[in-house]
Amino acid sequence: MAAIQLLPRRPEVRIMSRHAALAIALIAAILLFPASRAQESKVVIGPRNPDLTEGAQELLAGNAVDGVQLTLRGLEVAQGKREKEAALSNLCAGFIMIDKLEPALMYCNMLLSSNDHHWRGYNNRALIYVMQKEYKKAEKDLLIGQELNPNARTLKVVKSMLLDATQPVESNIIIDDRRRKKVDAGLTEDK
Amino acid sequence: MVNRRSVLFILVCLGLAAPYVASADDDTRVTRITHFEDASSDRNPAVTAVPQYPKLARRDRIEGEATVCYKIDKNGKIVNPSVRKSSHKMFAKPSLKAIKQSSYEAIRPDQEVSKVKTCRTFRFLLNPVAIEEIE
Repeated sequence: MAAIQLLPRRPEVRIMSRHAALAIALIAAILLFPASRAQESKVVIGPRNPDLTEGAQELLAGNAVDGVQLTLRGLEVAQGKREKEAALSNLCAGFIMIDKLEPALMYCNMLLSSNDHHWRGYNNRALIYVMQKEYKKAEKDLLIGQELNPNARTLKVVKSMLLDATQPVESNIIIDDRRRKKVDAGLTEDK
Repeated sequence: MVNRRSVLFILVCLGLAAPYVASADDDTRVTRITHFEDASSDRNPAVTAVPQYPKLARRDRIEGEATVCYKIDKNGKIVNPSVRKSSHKMFAKPSLKAIKQSSYEAIRPDQEVSKVKTCRTFRFLLNPVAIEEIE
């Protein structure tokens, strides 16, 4: 068998766009939730916190700097626990998008201090830890996040990023044209 | 260990062997391809397309296999391919796609086309890679 080769590292640009896409997906999920709540209500006057709403929309559009500014303003006038948590969560995601991990971590920590069942908070913080190469902390947050929401796609993506960093693999395709397929135990062994 | 009864054992790396083409879309991180053949086949592959490792399977570290069966016409074109078995549904589609992009050498005029179906199994494996940390 040929020697195992190192996988080519992904270009930095691609990694950054992946982070941005992940953050946008999280913000989208946060935005969609209040929308479904709003449908339950008979009377809709409009968004109570326009800065927070517009901030989320800017983040979704990829305008992270504007999105963070608006969300910060929205946080100042946030009413109620849920609105405040949405702001903290979006700030954490927004600062990740602009690659400012220290403030991102701060807002994630504030979010999780307020609500330790917020799986998106664990997801975002795990992503920060992966980017900071704090892999054990990332693993711990991912475990909690997956307990809270086992089917969350974003958690699987972050876990994959963690595994790519800590336990990288190369894919190996075996084409077997033999009529009598004698499977080599070493090749098909489950990991 | 490799089966000793295998008559032919070919190990190629992607990009080195002309008859192997990547059935590629976006994930080009396949680094190893191994092809097992034996003397039972009366047809010689002309183009062997290699399936992509499914991105979701790679992400979730899922390994598995899929077997596709088909007939080969006199010109070497693959006819009526279908997935006979697949350990996970996500391996079926890339395997079928790879077979559709593959072909065999045409037979001589004096030869007859076999009525027996040919089957090809693709095994999708993930091997750990050792990384040397650079301080």
